[in-house]
Amino acid sequence: MRAEREDHDGRLPPNQRLTRGWPILHASPIPKFKEEIWSFCVWGEVETEVEWTWPEFRSLPKFRNTSDFHCVTGWSKFDVAWEGVSFKEIASRVTPKPSATHVIVHAEYGYTANLPLAAIDDTDVLFAWAHDGFDLEPEHGGPLRLVVPKLYAWKSAKWVRGLHFLNHDERGYWEERGYHNRADPFREERYSWQE
Amino acid sequence: MSDEPTTPQEVWALIERADELVKYAQNRDPATAYAQARSTLERAAEAARTVAGAEKLEEQAARRLADIAKLESA
Repeated sequence: MRAEREDHDGRLPPNQRLTRGWPILHASPIPKFKEEIWSFCVWGEVETEVEWTWPEFRSLPKFRNTSDFHCVTGWSKFDVAWEGVSFKEIASRVTPKPSATHVIVHAEYGYTANLPLAAIDDTDVLFAWAHDGFDLEPEHGGPLRLVVPKLYAWKSAKWVRGLHFLNHDERGYWEERGYHNRADPFREERYSWQE
Repeated sequence: MSDEPTTPQEVWALIERADELVKYAQNRDPATAYAQARSTLERAAEAARTVAGAEKLEEQAARRLADIAKLESA
Protein backbone atom coordinates (compact mmCIF):
# COMPACT_ATOMS: atom_id res chain seq x y z
CA MET A 1 0.00 0.00 0.00
CA ARG A 2 1.13 3.55 -0.76
CA ALA A 3 0.96 4.74 2.85
CA GLU A 4 3.02 1.78 4.00
CA ARG A 5 5.67 2.54 1.40
CA GLU A 6 5.84 6.20 2.39
CA ASP A 7 6.46 5.50 6.05
CA HIS A 8 8.46 2.33 5.31
CA ASP A 9 5.96 0.18 7.17
CA GLY A 10 6.09 2.36 10.25
CA ARG A 11 9.85 2.61 10.41
CA LEU A 12 10.03 6.24 9.31
CA PRO A 13 8.71 8.69 11.95
CA PRO A 14 6.05 11.21 10.91
CA ASN A 15 7.19 14.13 8.73
CA GLN A 16 10.66 12.67 8.22
CA ARG A 17 12.24 11.97 4.83
CA LEU A 18 14.73 9.24 4.18
CA THR A 19 18.26 10.18 3.13
CA ARG A 20 21.01 7.93 1.82
CA GLY A 21 23.69 10.49 2.62
CA TRP A 22 24.52 11.77 6.04
CA PRO A 23 24.03 15.50 6.41
CA ILE A 24 26.45 17.25 8.73
CA LEU A 25 25.12 19.72 11.26
CA HIS A 26 26.15 20.93 14.67
CA ALA A 27 26.01 24.11 16.69
CA SER A 28 29.74 24.66 17.09
CA PRO A 29 33.00 24.33 15.17
CA ILE A 30 34.57 20.87 14.99
CA PRO A 31 36.90 20.43 17.97
CA LYS A 32 40.43 19.13 17.49
CA PHE A 33 41.01 15.77 19.14
CA LYS A 34 44.10 15.76 21.35
CA GLU A 35 44.49 12.27 22.71
CA GLU A 36 46.97 13.31 25.41
CA ILE A 37 44.44 15.55 27.14
CA TRP A 38 41.19 13.75 26.22
CA SER A 39 39.30 12.12 29.06
CA PHE A 40 35.81 10.84 29.69
CA CYS A 41 34.43 11.43 33.17
CA VAL A 42 31.42 9.91 34.89
CA TRP A 43 30.28 11.50 38.13
CA GLY A 44 27.32 12.38 40.32
CA GLU A 45 24.80 9.84 41.56
CA VAL A 46 27.07 6.81 41.10
CA GLU A 47 28.87 4.50 43.51
CA THR A 48 32.19 4.85 41.64
CA GLU A 49 33.18 7.98 39.77
CA VAL A 50 35.63 7.39 36.93
CA GLU A 51 37.86 9.27 34.53
CA TRP A 52 39.07 7.30 31.52
CA THR A 53 41.85 8.29 29.13
CA TRP A 54 41.34 7.55 25.43
CA PRO A 55 43.34 4.26 25.54
CA GLU A 56 41.47 3.20 28.67
CA PHE A 57 38.12 3.98 27.08
CA ARG A 58 39.05 2.13 23.90
CA SER A 59 40.03 -0.93 25.95
CA LEU A 60 36.49 -1.30 27.33
CA PRO A 61 34.48 -4.19 25.84
CA LYS A 62 33.29 -3.45 22.32
CA PHE A 63 29.63 -3.26 21.47
CA ARG A 64 28.10 -3.15 17.99
CA ASN A 65 24.58 -2.14 17.09
CA THR A 66 22.79 -1.14 13.91
CA SER A 67 20.02 1.41 14.25
CA ASP A 68 18.14 4.21 12.51
CA PHE A 69 18.97 7.86 12.98
CA HIS A 70 16.36 10.65 13.02
CA CYS A 71 17.25 14.34 12.88
CA VAL A 72 14.73 16.93 14.07
CA THR A 73 15.44 18.98 10.93
CA GLY A 74 13.49 16.31 9.05
CA TRP A 75 15.80 13.64 7.66
CA SER A 76 16.29 10.06 8.74
CA LYS A 77 18.96 7.54 7.87
CA PHE A 78 18.33 3.82 8.17
CA ASP A 79 20.76 1.11 9.24
CA VAL A 80 23.75 2.95 10.67
CA ALA A 81 26.18 0.34 12.03
CA TRP A 82 27.78 1.70 15.18
CA GLU A 83 30.68 0.41 17.23
CA GLY A 84 31.78 1.59 20.67
CA VAL A 85 30.93 0.95 24.30
CA SER A 86 27.38 0.31 25.44
CA PHE A 87 25.78 2.52 28.05
CA LYS A 88 25.07 -0.64 30.02
CA GLU A 89 28.81 -1.39 30.12
CA ILE A 90 29.51 2.10 31.46
CA ALA A 91 26.72 1.77 34.01
CA SER A 92 28.05 -1.60 35.19
CA ARG A 93 31.39 0.04 35.99
CA VAL A 94 30.07 3.09 37.83
CA THR A 95 26.92 1.58 39.40
CA PRO A 96 24.24 4.29 39.42
CA LYS A 97 22.81 4.92 42.87
CA PRO A 98 19.10 4.21 43.43
CA SER A 99 18.66 7.99 43.61
CA ALA A 100 19.82 8.45 39.98
CA THR A 101 16.90 9.35 37.73
CA HIS A 102 18.46 11.37 34.87
CA VAL A 103 21.75 12.02 33.15
CA ILE A 104 23.30 14.98 31.42
CA VAL A 105 25.79 14.17 28.74
CA HIS A 106 28.56 16.77 28.47
CA ALA A 107 30.34 17.48 25.22
CA GLU A 108 32.93 19.88 23.82
CA TYR A 109 32.17 23.62 23.91
CA GLY A 110 29.81 23.14 26.85
CA TYR A 111 27.13 21.35 24.81
CA THR A 112 24.81 19.26 26.95
CA ALA A 113 21.83 16.97 26.42
CA ASN A 114 19.60 15.58 29.15
CA LEU A 115 18.02 12.16 29.26
CA PRO A 116 15.94 10.21 31.74
CA LEU A 117 17.91 7.22 32.99
CA ALA A 118 15.16 5.01 31.55
CA ALA A 119 15.88 6.39 28.06
CA ILE A 120 19.65 6.03 28.11
CA ASP A 121 19.66 2.69 29.93
CA ASP A 122 18.55 0.83 26.82
CA THR A 123 20.08 -2.08 24.94
CA ASP A 124 20.71 -0.02 21.78
CA VAL A 125 22.46 2.97 23.41
CA LEU A 126 26.21 3.32 23.05
CA PHE A 127 29.14 5.69 23.02
CA ALA A 128 30.39 5.23 19.47
CA TRP A 129 33.86 5.65 18.00
CA ALA A 130 33.12 4.00 14.64
CA HIS A 131 30.29 3.65 12.14
CA ASP A 132 29.97 1.32 9.18
CA GLY A 133 33.44 -0.06 9.89
CA PHE A 134 35.33 3.24 9.91
CA ASP A 135 36.51 5.52 12.70
CA LEU A 136 33.92 8.18 13.36
CA GLU A 137 34.88 11.26 11.38
CA PRO A 138 35.26 14.49 13.39
CA GLU A 139 32.32 16.06 11.55
CA HIS A 140 30.10 13.21 12.70
CA GLY A 141 31.24 13.47 16.32
CA GLY A 142 34.57 11.67 16.33
CA PRO A 143 36.36 10.59 18.34
CA LEU A 144 33.30 9.76 20.44
CA ARG A 145 29.59 10.44 20.30
CA LEU A 146 26.56 9.20 22.12
CA VAL A 147 23.97 7.27 20.10
CA VAL A 148 20.39 7.11 21.42
CA PRO A 149 18.51 5.65 18.44
CA LYS A 150 14.98 5.98 19.82
CA LEU A 151 15.21 9.78 20.22
CA TYR A 152 15.83 12.70 17.86
CA ALA A 153 19.52 12.99 17.16
CA TRP A 154 20.23 16.14 19.15
CA LYS A 155 20.15 13.82 22.16
CA SER A 156 22.97 11.81 20.53
CA ALA A 157 25.60 14.39 21.41
CA LYS A 158 28.77 14.64 19.35
CA TRP A 159 32.26 14.94 20.89
CA VAL A 160 31.18 13.69 24.30
CA ARG A 161 33.47 14.10 27.27
CA GLY A 162 31.41 13.12 30.29
CA LEU A 163 28.28 11.81 31.84
CA HIS A 164 26.69 13.30 34.94
CA PHE A 165 24.15 11.19 36.82
CA LEU A 166 21.51 13.30 38.57
CA ASN A 167 18.67 12.77 41.03
CA HIS A 168 16.53 15.25 39.08
CA ASP A 169 16.07 16.52 35.54
CA GLU A 170 17.94 19.50 34.08
CA ARG A 171 17.36 20.71 30.55
CA GLY A 172 20.26 20.54 28.12
CA TYR A 173 21.44 22.93 25.41
CA TRP A 174 18.63 22.54 22.86
CA GLU A 175 16.06 21.70 25.49
CA GLU A 176 16.65 25.20 26.94
CA ARG A 177 16.27 26.64 23.47
CA GLY A 178 12.72 25.60 22.76
CA TYR A 179 13.16 21.95 21.85
CA HIS A 180 11.32 19.08 23.49
CA ASN A 181 12.58 17.57 26.71
CA ARG A 182 11.88 13.97 25.64
CA ALA A 183 12.35 14.05 21.83
CA ASP A 184 10.58 10.86 20.73
CA PRO A 185 10.47 11.05 16.90
CA PHE A 186 7.50 8.69 16.61
CA ARG A 187 5.46 11.05 18.83
CA GLU A 188 6.96 13.94 16.91
CA GLU A 189 8.16 15.57 20.13
CA ARG A 190 10.07 18.39 18.50
CA TYR A 191 9.26 21.52 20.52
CA SER A 192 8.98 22.45 24.17
CA TRP A 193 5.46 23.88 23.81
CA GLN A 194 4.25 20.35 23.07
CA GLU A 195 5.21 19.26 26.60
CA MET B 1 2.47 43.18 1.58
CA SER B 2 4.78 42.59 4.53
CA ASP B 3 6.36 39.19 5.05
CA GLU B 4 7.05 39.91 8.70
CA PRO B 5 5.71 37.33 11.15
CA THR B 6 2.24 37.87 12.49
CA THR B 7 1.88 34.78 14.69
CA PRO B 8 4.08 33.13 17.34
CA GLN B 9 4.45 30.15 14.98
CA GLU B 10 5.90 32.39 12.31
CA VAL B 11 8.28 33.97 14.83
CA TRP B 12 9.42 30.49 15.89
CA ALA B 13 9.87 29.52 12.23
CA LEU B 14 12.38 32.36 11.90
CA ILE B 15 14.23 31.16 15.01
CA GLU B 16 14.25 27.62 13.65
CA ARG B 17 15.61 28.91 10.34
CA ALA B 18 18.41 30.64 12.25
CA ASP B 19 19.13 27.38 14.10
CA GLU B 20 19.54 25.58 10.78
CA LEU B 21 21.85 28.30 9.45
CA VAL B 22 24.06 27.82 12.52
CA LYS B 23 23.89 24.02 12.47
CA TYR B 24 24.95 23.83 8.82
CA ALA B 25 27.42 26.74 9.02
CA GLN B 26 30.47 24.48 8.96
CA ASN B 27 29.45 23.16 5.52
CA ARG B 28 29.81 26.63 3.99
CA ASP B 29 31.36 29.96 4.96
CA PRO B 30 30.64 30.10 8.71
CA ALA B 31 30.97 33.89 8.92
CA THR B 32 28.28 34.36 6.27
CA ALA B 33 26.03 31.77 7.88
CA TYR B 34 26.40 33.38 11.30
CA ALA B 35 25.64 36.82 9.85
CA GLN B 36 22.50 35.47 8.16
CA ALA B 37 21.46 33.75 11.37
CA ARG B 38 22.04 36.95 13.36
CA SER B 39 19.94 38.97 10.93
CA THR B 40 17.17 36.35 11.05
CA LEU B 41 17.20 36.36 14.84
CA GLU B 42 17.07 40.14 15.00
CA ARG B 43 13.93 40.00 12.83
CA ALA B 44 12.50 37.34 15.12
CA ALA B 45 13.27 39.38 18.26
CA GLU B 46 11.69 42.48 16.77
CA ALA B 47 8.59 40.53 15.80
CA ALA B 48 8.39 38.81 19.20
CA ARG B 49 8.06 42.24 20.83
CA THR B 50 4.96 43.07 18.79
CA VAL B 51 3.22 39.75 18.04
CA ALA B 52 0.72 38.80 20.73
CA GLY B 53 1.71 35.59 22.52
CA ALA B 54 5.27 35.61 21.20
CA GLU B 55 6.85 37.52 24.10
CA LYS B 56 8.85 34.53 25.39
CA LEU B 57 10.39 34.03 21.98
CA GLU B 58 12.31 37.27 22.37
CA GLU B 59 14.33 35.54 25.08
CA GLN B 60 14.92 32.56 22.76
CA ALA B 61 16.19 34.88 20.04
CA ALA B 62 18.41 36.76 22.52
CA ARG B 63 19.89 33.50 23.83
CA ARG B 64 20.81 32.45 20.30
CA LEU B 65 22.31 35.85 19.48
CA ALA B 66 24.55 35.38 22.53
CA ASP B 67 25.43 31.87 21.29
CA ILE B 68 26.45 33.26 17.90
CA ALA B 69 28.58 35.96 19.53
CA LYS B 70 30.44 33.20 21.42
CA LEU B 71 30.91 31.17 18.23
CA GLU B 72 32.25 34.19 16.39
CA SER B 73 34.76 34.96 19.13
CA ALA B 74 35.93 31.34 19.51
